[in-house]
Formats: sequence, C-alpha cells, structure tokens
Amino acid sequence: MGRYILYRLLSAVPVVLGITVIVFFIMSLIPGDPATAILGAYASPENVARLNADLGLDKPMVQRYFIWLGNMLTGDFGRSFSLNRPVLDEILERFSATLILAGVSLLICAVLGIVAGVVSAARQYGLADKAITLAVLVGISIPSFFLGMLLILIFAVQLRWLPVSGMYEVYGGRTLVDLLRHIILPATALAAVATGVVARLSRGAMLEVLRQDYIRTARAKGVSETGVIWRHALRAAMVSIIPVLGIQAGFVLSGAVYIEVVFQWPGVGRMLVDAILKRDLLLVQGGVTFVAACYVLFNIIVDVAQSLIDPRIKA
Amino acid sequence: MRPQRLTRRAVLLSSATALIVAATGLRAPVLAQTPPGVLILGQVAEPKTLDPQAATAANDFRISVNVFDGLVRFRDGTLEVEPALAHSYDISGDGKTYTFHLREGIKFHDGSDFNAEAVKFTFERMLKKDHPYADTGPFPLAFFFSSVASVEAPDALTAVFTLTEPYAPFLANLATPTGYIVSPAAVAQHGADFGRNPSGTGPFKFAEWRANEMVAIEKNPDYWDGAPASEAIVFRPITDANTRTAEMLAGGLDIMVEVPPVTLSQFRNDQYTIVEAAGAHLWFLILNCKDGAFADKRVRQAANYAVNKEALVNNVLEGTATVAAGPTPAAFNWAVNPDVTPYPYDPEKARALLAEAGTPNPKITFFVTEGGSGMLDPVAMGTAIQADLAAVGFDVTIQTYEWNTFLDQVNPGLSGKADMAEMAWMTNDPDTLPYLALRAEAFPDKGGFNSGYYANPEVDELLNRARVSTDQAERAELYKKMQVIVHDDAPWLFVANWKQNAVATAAVKGLVLQPSFLLTLKNVSKA
Amino acid sequence: MRLFLTLLFRNRLAALGAVLLLALVLLCLVVPLLPLADPNVTDTPNKFLRPFSEGHLLGTDHLGRDLLSRLLWGTRLSLAVGVAAAAAAAFFGTLIGICAGYFGGWIDNGLMRLIDMIMAFPYILLALAIVAALGPGMLNALIAVAAVNVPFFARNIRGISVGLTAREFIDAARLSGQGHARIIVTELLPNVLPVIIVAISTTIGWMVLETAGLSFLGLGSQPPQADLGSMLGEARAALIAAPHTLIVPGAMIFVIVMSINLLGDGLRDALDPRLRSGALARPSPVTRIARPAPPPAETPARGVLDLDGLTTRFEVGAQVYKAVSDVSLTLGKGECLGLIGESGSGKSVTALSVTGLVASPPGVIAGGAARLDGVDLLSLPYRDLRGLRGRRIAYIFQDPLSTLHPLYRIGDQMVEAIRVHRKMPLAEARARCLDLLRTVQIPNAESRLSAYPHELSGGMRQRVGIAMALVNDPEVIIADEPTTALDVTVQAQVLALLDRLRRERGLSILFITHDFGVVGQLCDRVAVMYAGQIVEEGPTASILAAPAHPYTRRLIACVPELGGGRRQLAAIPGLPPAVNRLPAGCAFAPRCDRARPDCQRDPIALRVSGPRAARCLYPEEALS
Repeated sequence: MGRYILYRLLSAVPVVLGITVIVFFIMSLIPGDPATAILGAYASPENVARLNADLGLDKPMVQRYFIWLGNMLTGDFGRSFSLNRPVLDEILERFSATLILAGVSLLICAVLGIVAGVVSAARQYGLADKAITLAVLVGISIPSFFLGMLLILIFAVQLRWLPVSGMYEVYGGRTLVDLLRHIILPATALAAVATGVVARLSRGAMLEVLRQDYIRTARAKGVSETGVIWRHALRAAMVSIIPVLGIQAGFVLSGAVYIEVVFQWPGVGRMLVDAILKRDLLLVQGGVTFVAACYVLFNIIVDVAQSLIDPRIKA
Repeated sequence: MRPQRLTRRAVLLSSATALIVAATGLRAPVLAQTPPGVLILGQVAEPKTLDPQAATAANDFRISVNVFDGLVRFRDGTLEVEPALAHSYDISGDGKTYTFHLREGIKFHDGSDFNAEAVKFTFERMLKKDHPYADTGPFPLAFFFSSVASVEAPDALTAVFTLTEPYAPFLANLATPTGYIVSPAAVAQHGADFGRNPSGTGPFKFAEWRANEMVAIEKNPDYWDGAPASEAIVFRPITDANTRTAEMLAGGLDIMVEVPPVTLSQFRNDQYTIVEAAGAHLWFLILNCKDGAFADKRVRQAANYAVNKEALVNNVLEGTATVAAGPTPAAFNWAVNPDVTPYPYDPEKARALLAEAGTPNPKITFFVTEGGSGMLDPVAMGTAIQADLAAVGFDVTIQTYEWNTFLDQVNPGLSGKADMAEMAWMTNDPDTLPYLALRAEAFPDKGGFNSGYYANPEVDELLNRARVSTDQAERAELYKKMQVIVHDDAPWLFVANWKQNAVATAAVKGLVLQPSFLLTLKNVSKA
Repeated sequence: MRLFLTLLFRNRLAALGAVLLLALVLLCLVVPLLPLADPNVTDTPNKFLRPFSEGHLLGTDHLGRDLLSRLLWGTRLSLAVGVAAAAAAAFFGTLIGICAGYFGGWIDNGLMRLIDMIMAFPYILLALAIVAALGPGMLNALIAVAAVNVPFFARNIRGISVGLTAREFIDAARLSGQGHARIIVTELLPNVLPVIIVAISTTIGWMVLETAGLSFLGLGSQPPQADLGSMLGEARAALIAAPHTLIVPGAMIFVIVMSINLLGDGLRDALDPRLRSGALARPSPVTRIARPAPPPAETPARGVLDLDGLTTRFEVGAQVYKAVSDVSLTLGKGECLGLIGESGSGKSVTALSVTGLVASPPGVIAGGAARLDGVDLLSLPYRDLRGLRGRRIAYIFQDPLSTLHPLYRIGDQMVEAIRVHRKMPLAEARARCLDLLRTVQIPNAESRLSAYPHELSGGMRQRVGIAMALVNDPEVIIADEPTTALDVTVQAQVLALLDRLRRERGLSILFITHDFGVVGQLCDRVAVMYAGQIVEEGPTASILAAPAHPYTRRLIACVPELGGGRRQLAAIPGLPPAVNRLPAGCAFAPRCDRARPDCQRDPIALRVSGPRAARCLYPEEALS
C-alpha cells in the first residue's frame, strides 16, 4: 500500500509540472502586463517599460520560467506584485479558507447527495423519489452564483438569520460556531450542483447493486431493509460513487471561484481571478500549481480510499 | 486482522475530515460583538499595499490617508493646499526651491521621531535607484516627483526640495499619498513588507491585516492635530457590489463607499445617510483626431451633440455624476471657466454637422472597458452612448476589453485600431490631465497619454506656461483659455464628472467626502 | 426508432423536457419574425419597468431596453453557443479520444497525461485565462468553454475506443490493408457515435451554464448584443433594486438547462437496454403478493413446509411469464426433498417464493400458500416474515461468489446472520461461526473468518454458504443448486456434508438441482418440474427405477453412470417452452416422442397413485 501511494505521488509530479508549463504558456499569450495593471490610467508605454524593468519582467519568457521553477523547488514562490507580498504567504493564508469551503461543500455533497440518492433508490418511484429527483434537477440547473445571491437575499438580508459574507465576524468570533454560521450559505450554494450529480449517480448505483444476488442473500438471512440498504447495498454502491466524488472535487474547487466572489470568502479562487486580470504571473503560477496539486492529491486519496473500501482492488 | 480494519476506517475518516479540521485554525473566542467606537467600512477591494509610495489605487489610499500625513494637505472640502506636517513653507522666486518648516515633537507610530531626515528618506527611497531601500518598491507613481532634483535636511526641522524646473502641481502632489512621509525606522525593520506593516504619523495606527477579510486601524491618541473620534476603523474588502449592498442592508457595515448607482434607492430612507462630493474626476471618450471620421472636427462636435449626457448621469448613473462641460472638472473651482458649458443634447444639430462634413453615417469602432478605477459602469454607459450615436446616424461597433487589456490597447494610441475609447481620470491638479493627454508633446510615442493625437499649438503653449507659473491667478487665466479652445476643438466627448458617494447608517456622524477622493475618517464617529 | 421514441415518451418527465426544448428551439428560430421591440434601443428614463408594463411584457432593463425582446434574442444566441460549444468540444474530444484509444502505446499515454493536466487545472480559471488571452466576445467565450470540456469527451471516447480496438472487426480491417484514417472513420467512428450524441445532449446544459458563468465574471458577448449570461451579469447589480431583470434571464437559463437535463436523462434511459426490461427497478423486500383469494392463514400441517398451489408470475410490460403454476409440495421433518428440472423450469422461483424473495418487480405471487408448520408465510406481516428468514428457513445459494457480499469478511457476514435475529455478544457469535466453519470442514477456519469471499476457492465458499445457513439452527434449509458450480470431488464432499448435517440435526432440506445423480445420493423423495409445473413426484428410488413421465425418463438418461461404459447421454432435443406462451395442454408435448394429439388439447391433471404422482396421459409406466 505504501509503495502504491508513493508511486502515485511520484507519477503526479510530471502532471503538476506540466500544469505550470500550461499556465505559463497561456499567461504569456494574454495581452497586457503587470505594469499596466499597477499603473492604471498612468500606464504610458514609457512608465510601463520602466516598471517592468523594476519588476524583472524584461527577461525572456523561457528564462523567467526556469528562474521561477528553480526558486519554487527551493520553496521560494516569488513575490506577488499585485499584492506586494510573498506568493507563498498569500496562498497559504488563503488556501486554508478555500479548503474549508470546498471541504465542507464536498462533505455536504457527499453526505446529502448519497443519502438523497439512497433514499431515492430505496423508494424508487415513490413520493420521496419524485421529490428528490425534482430537487436534484433544480439543484443542477441553477447557476451557483445565482443561487448564492438568492440565498443572501433571503437568509441574510430579509430574514437576517445568517451573515451576508466573509468567513468570520470582524470582531470577536473566529470560533467554530462563528465559522459555521458563515459557511452555511456559501457551502450550500457551492454544493448544490455537485450534490445533485452525486445524488443522481448514487441512485443509479444503488439500483444496480440492489439487483445483485448478495442483496438477496442478505434478505434471506433476515437482515432488515434498513440494514440491506445502508449496510449491504450502500457499501457496494460506494465503489462506483467514490470516483465520482473525486471528479466533483474538481468541480467544487473550480466553482469556489464564483462563490468566493459572491460571498467575499477569503479564499484562493477569487485571488486567482484577480491575479489573472492583473497579470500577476507568479501568483497565478503559484496558486494554480497549488490548486492543481491539491486536486491531484485528492484524487490519489480517492483511489486509495477506493482500494480500502474494495478489497478486490489490490493496490 | 481487526485492528487493520480500524486503521482503514481511521484513514478514511481522516482523509474526509483532514481537509476541514486541519486547516480551520480554530481560535478562542475574543469578543462577541463589534465594540463601541469601532467603525466597519465596506471597501471595493483588498488593498494592495499600505505603503503610500507603492500604492496606486484609490482603494488603498482610503486606508493610508488615515495612517500617514503629508507635509501639506488639501483643505477640507477643496483641492487647495494647506500646511500639515510642515507648519509653513517658502517657495523661491524662480519656483525651483521649496523650503518646508516642520512641526516639532511629532512621532511616528513606531515611536521614532518625525524630522527632516524622514522627509529626505521618504523621497530618496522613491526617487533614487541607489538608495539602500529602493528595493522596497516599486514606486509606480514616482514620476509625480520626477522634477525633484534633490531633498536636503539642513536641520532637523527644515526640509528643502530643489526642482530641476518650475513645476506648479508640486504642492498638490505632496498632498497626495505618494508624498506622505513614512517612518525610516519601520521601513528598515520591515523592508519590502513595510506595505503590510505601515508606520506613519496619521490619526490612526495600523493594527491588523487579515488577507481578504479586513484591515484594522486603531486610534492614535497622541495625534498632533487632535485625537480622532473613533476607537478603531475596520476596512472590509467586499468586491462584489451586490454583496456589499446586501451587507450594508443586513447591518454588517457602518459605512459603504462606491455605492452602485442602481442600489442607491435602497438607502434613501431615514435609516441611512447618503453623502456625496463632486470630485476632480472626468469621464470622457477619447476621439481619434488623426484618422477615421473623427479627424473632422465637425464629426467630433456632432458626437458631442448627439449624446444625451443628462440622461446618462441621471438615469444610468442615477445622479451619481454631473454633466462634464469641458476638460477641467468643476471641482478645480479656481481654474474652471464658467463660460464653458456642456454641449447641449441636440440630435438635429448633430445630423446637420454630419451632413455638412459629408459623412452622414460614419463607421466608428468604440473601445469599451468592463471596469477599472473611476470608470463608472462603463459597459452600460458605452451601450447607452452607442445607442444615442446610432440614433443620429453613426454606425458604432463596440469592442469591450477587460481593464488591463483595454489600457494596453488604448494607451499606445488609437490609430489604426479604434475611433473612440472610454477613459476616466482622477487628478489633484488642473495641470495633470491636459498636460499628460492633450499636448502634441504627449503623443503616445513620446511617453504621454494623448491617445487621440489631438494637437493644437495654442493649447500646448497655454499648458506649458501654466505649469511653470507659481501664481495661481495667472495659472487660472491660462487654464480658462485652454478650456475654451479644447471645448470647441472637441478632441474628446465630454461626458461626466463623478460625484463619489458613500452610505452610512444613521448612527454614523461626521462623514464627509473630499473632492480629492481621499477619505479622511478622523472626525467620523458612531453614536 | 419507433421503439426508442415510445420509450422516451413513456418517461413523462423526459417528454416534458423534449416538448419544452422543442418549443424553445422553435421560438428561437422564429424570433426574427416576431413583432418584438428592437432589443438594443435604449430608453433610459423608462429603465427598470416592472413586468406587465404597457408595451413591455417583461419590463425593461437598466437601460430601458425591452426585456422580452432581449430575452428571446439572448436565448437564441445562448442556445446556439451552447450547441456549438458542445459540438466543438465533442469533435476535438472525440478526435483525441479515438486517436488515443486506437493507436494506444505512447500516443495514448502522452495524450492522456495532457488531458490529466488540463483536468487538474481549475476549469473556470482555464476558461478565464483563455478568454483573457483571446479577448472578450461570444466566439471566444465559446472557444474557452469548448476547450475546457474537451477532456471529458476525450476520456469517455478513449475508454470506448480502447474496447472497440481490441475487437475482431478492427483487426480484420487492419489485415485487409486499410489505412488508419479509414479504419477510424469507417469502422470506429460509427460505433462511437451514439455515445457522442448522448454525451452532447447532456453537455449542452452545462455549456449554457458555463458561458453564463463567464459572463458573470464579465467575459461574454459584446454589448449591446444580448445573451443570457451577459443579461444576468448586467442585471446583477440590480438584484436588490429590480430583481426581475435578474430573475427573467435566470429563470430562462433554469428552464433551458432543466429541459436539456430531463431530455438527456430520458435519452440515456431509452438507450439503456436494461431499462426496457425493467431490470433497473429496485426489488422490494418482499415479493409482491396479489392473490385473488388469500388462503386461510393457518391450516393443519402436513409436513414442516407445505406448498399449496403456489403460483408465481413475472409481469414485464404487458407480458406475463408463468414461472410457477400451482405447485404443491410437502417437506416432512428430517426429510430431504429434491426439486429437479432444467434451467427455467421454475424450481428456483418456487424456492424463492417460499419466503417472498423473488425480485419484485417483476415478480408477483399470484396464488397459493407456503406454510411453515401450517402457518402461511405469505400472509405474515413483513416483520414476522423477516424474523423467520434465516432463522427457521435458511437458504444455500448457487455460486457463492455472487451471493456472498464481496466487500465484507466471511466472519462479519456470518456474525450478522446471527445478530439480526438475537442479541449475542460479538465474541460468542464469532466463536459460534468458527465452530460452524470447522463443522463444514474448512481448514484454517480461524483465518478464514477474516478472509474476503474472493480470497477463497469455490468449494470453500460453498461450505461457507452452508455454514452461514446453519448459524441459527434452522428447521428448513432450501438449497438452490449448491453444488452446480463445483467439480465432482468437491461436489461429493459437499453432498456428504449436507447429508451428515441432516441426519445429525434433523434438518429438513428442499434440494434444488438439475442433476438426477445428485438427487440419487441425497434425497428421500423427488419432485420433477417442467415449465412451472410439477410433472412427477415420488420416492427417489422408485422414480429412478421406473420414471412415469417421459420428461423424467429423459432427465434420468442424462446422468452418466459410473462404470456404465459409454452409455448414450441423450440430451433432450428442443427447448423448454417460453413460459409467457404456454400451450393449453402438456407443455412437454412438443418435445415428447410419446405425444399424441390429445396431449395438447386440455390441461392435464396430476394423477396421484400412492406415494407417486405424474402429470401425463400416456406415462412410461402405469402407476400402480
């Protein structure tokens, strides 16, 4: 098992490296440069050229890439010129926020999606199934940012049950309760689509599994229907649900961009959008590398989880 | 084999929860509610830096103006300069030497003394490439002071600036954040991170910065100009205008700046107060005077007549702006020519002018940006303008660009690309905009911002003379003449002067906006 | 095609989606012909008019433009972009996927690593970067959205192509000297096409959502052109002041995406062959019982287990399959009754019907009773029936690889069988299971407890199945072909084991098999089933010696006899009849060499004679 994990980790390295090349390539295609972004209306060609030289951006692209890569391997991600601080500090500070939001959303999407799918399958064509199917359809058909704005309007502005934005109260707070109050709306908006996808998939997987002979065996043993569904069928259905959770992780990480904008969540998604718009190459490079590495890592975890839950897969 | 199974569960469990729990960094509760005397202010974006020399955005200035002071400052409600850290100053007859006499006994927040050495340090750090702390930059707006040849400190309380040539806007530039005095000790201590650990002499001290959550500044009880009215101010960046409005409506903010025009109606009741101030801001369209239809002055004038500016400022911008008369915003009251009035909305006249020019349906490419500082809802404005121009016969194609790409397209000149482009400037001196954007010497290839290639020797002459004069009355005369000519030549389509606005809850007292767009919060308090 | 449409429209939701979408598409096509206001004419004094204002059915936007007109023009553009982006993504994704799948090797490896990289890149940021690089505009947004979706297509198509490339017809094409391009276009592509079409149909919705998302970030169509995303984006600031400007395009996106999703689901289901047969329906915990007249709940018991006229059917669509028709059997205490017949004769369904384990849908118990000590199991409430399952009546199934849960350890599955019926400390339950594993002669029983089913050999698994049936000391064991999958030596061991257990524990066994050889070794009596009916019944020795029904004789003839030399193993010619089209008379008549015309005329009754019974007009041996 350890060897397998090591192998997977090592084979992820070229993927992450490749991603840095892609980011660099795309960023170099984008017109405009950081100096223009910094100078704004004062960005005359002369001022821009002077500032670019100050920023060390007058070197050839390939050379800059390798300088960056070399520095990164020694743990130096460089300094963001749009934020005027080390890239790594910024990313680490914000990445935890994104991870919390994405993590909670994934948890919601996994728990709620699987429960909804299982209930839906267990009550196939029943009232609960129809209600869930409808809710799932609504969930996967609403743009997440639209849902987010509606949630703010209803629960924060009208009802005042929950805060509008941010991650903690400005003063005080910073407790788990405070975090939970702040995370409910954005996590719900972010999880909506993924929950729908997981619920649909879980329903299908459960229906598939419930027809298997070993389910009949469980019933023949006298196992209660609850036990049949939650212990026997779900465990087997997880084998096909877990990989989808891995894919959803990518969607959730991506979708966090919108949600972080709408809810002013201090995460990495919003920062990366700004960084692209401000041509902050180092920040984009560092941030995307981080997010991509996280995604790759999560998928390795998913594969490992998969091999743990299914003893037939030998790692 | 049982333990292995437990391990398996443990691994699954931890992989699911590690993401969430490990990173939360749960901390003990501090305080349950916003303490009294603390103001929470909703900003438009995360500040980039609080180093006044490194900052370029109005968003950053809103904080640094409360942490730092300049040698001089704008008098309340005007764009006229008055002493600040310097209690007085002298200007030599040739306009090249400025001597500042500094106030005594002022200390930076870090405890070090404010003195002439600090002034010298501040400007040399920004201007001299070989300064030991030059690498704490870059300092993008250093060119505001490019005419400074040297800064000397003959004694602790005297700072002498020598200019290479007379430069009238020098004092006004000293009153902007780029001229604020920083603590040499703090710069030495924090180096490049000074922007996140700023130390100045202002009414508030920097307290805390949580990335993308808030920046807090707290009362400086020893402020030389009297202690501020509030205990602390928290600046929350809320980028999305909608969310910012929702947060204000939900009671999460005490003050909110840059209220989106369409949401202003939500705050027109007795729970809130709306404050506004006309600023030294001009929203205009650069017209390409070199090639294409706008090379003909009559077509440029026709465009000015064709656009219903009243409708734009009242309906699109919901009264958050006034109609612009000419190239100089009304906020520069001493330099504005009252005889220059806005082009009236007159589609008939526009059609007649187009017919006279022999181009009843000129094809126009119009660069529109999607956002950007001071750009006032540029897409809606551009769309409305396009519709007005289309109504008199112009055939306008809009091309939108995100702000940086837009600047990258516009600033090198419009020739061969477009006939018309949106632009907005916020300035501190009537010299800045016309000098940088209307002279023949300011064509893009010469390092200026005259992207429409307007050239009138008379205007050049007037602007050059006004720049070197130290007599305000003389300068005013020259600017007034310039405005008449430029208004008639119509190198731009003059659209609007922005009235910046802010909303505060009824409990907030003393909130005043300044034409300089600098948000001084010293006298603001919450009941 | 007609079947496909019928299936599609049988799903009412999918039909709703199809109708909605069709209506939208038609509406979009005729937009230029409709008497709509110019979507781009501004009228700023009349901005934010509410819906149903005069002249503006849906009101006006922030510049006073007619929302209805912009909505329809915008829908037209957005749908077109969605379709085009999906098609573009499908085209390039297919190209990459097919090449990777067809060529394999380093090409496959290289392409898939590239796809991995692009997938690890947060797709919104990728789209954003592409739009930033190309400049804004609907076409560029389209390119970006298409580009980020290429990997999903590529992955799907590659998987299918790999499978297809391994098939013979591709080899054949290669051997015939066709070029790669030609093979891909004429052989591979047609086989991949249906998958692509379904994938496109389900992706269009995503595309519309994603372009809307890009417009939300300010990167969409060029003003004043309307598309749904930019309408949302422009109206965003007015959410609080004039929500209708946001809700109108938002609702349209919702309707489009939902109808596409509904239709996509319907398409997928209609193309899935299993759904046509109802095989994807969830089996209920108890077989549906629809007996026209419920029999008395309790009658005097003849044996431990009595079946009285048990009738079970499968109802698939309009078809009714009579799997078990009017079967009556009696299993005495300590007796072993063999139930024998070919595949599909209804013997397994009979066994499963006893405790309502027939998958339902499509199974229905349409009549009769199954009595344990005189109590009709099928009249019991579910809770009571469940309490009997595995405790008083236990099953041993065929092929324990699929009937044991693959993800649980043997020990856990056995312990569960005990603990669902009574509270017993875990350690005690495990000890009992261990004991039973030893009883069924499993070596290293201790370590087998924590083995997974796939780690055991077939014989071992079967013994586990037997041990699991014994954990609660049941009175009746129903063994459904427990030895079929085993080789002869193991089979003999297992049979000996069952026989021993029966004698030691006084078990009653209903033993289902298709092999008279097995029956001869184990069973006291035997019942022969054909086409859902009992055709002969009696003591094993007597039947083996003198079968009455021609079918029985044939079955016996199939058994090779040890030392019997090269006796002719006469396979029975022909096939059993389809149980949804049973003939009126003897179901075996068409295959019977003794059949006469009157055999096929009327139903034939089971004639009882002493311990034996047969359902034949012209039996081999007259029953005395």
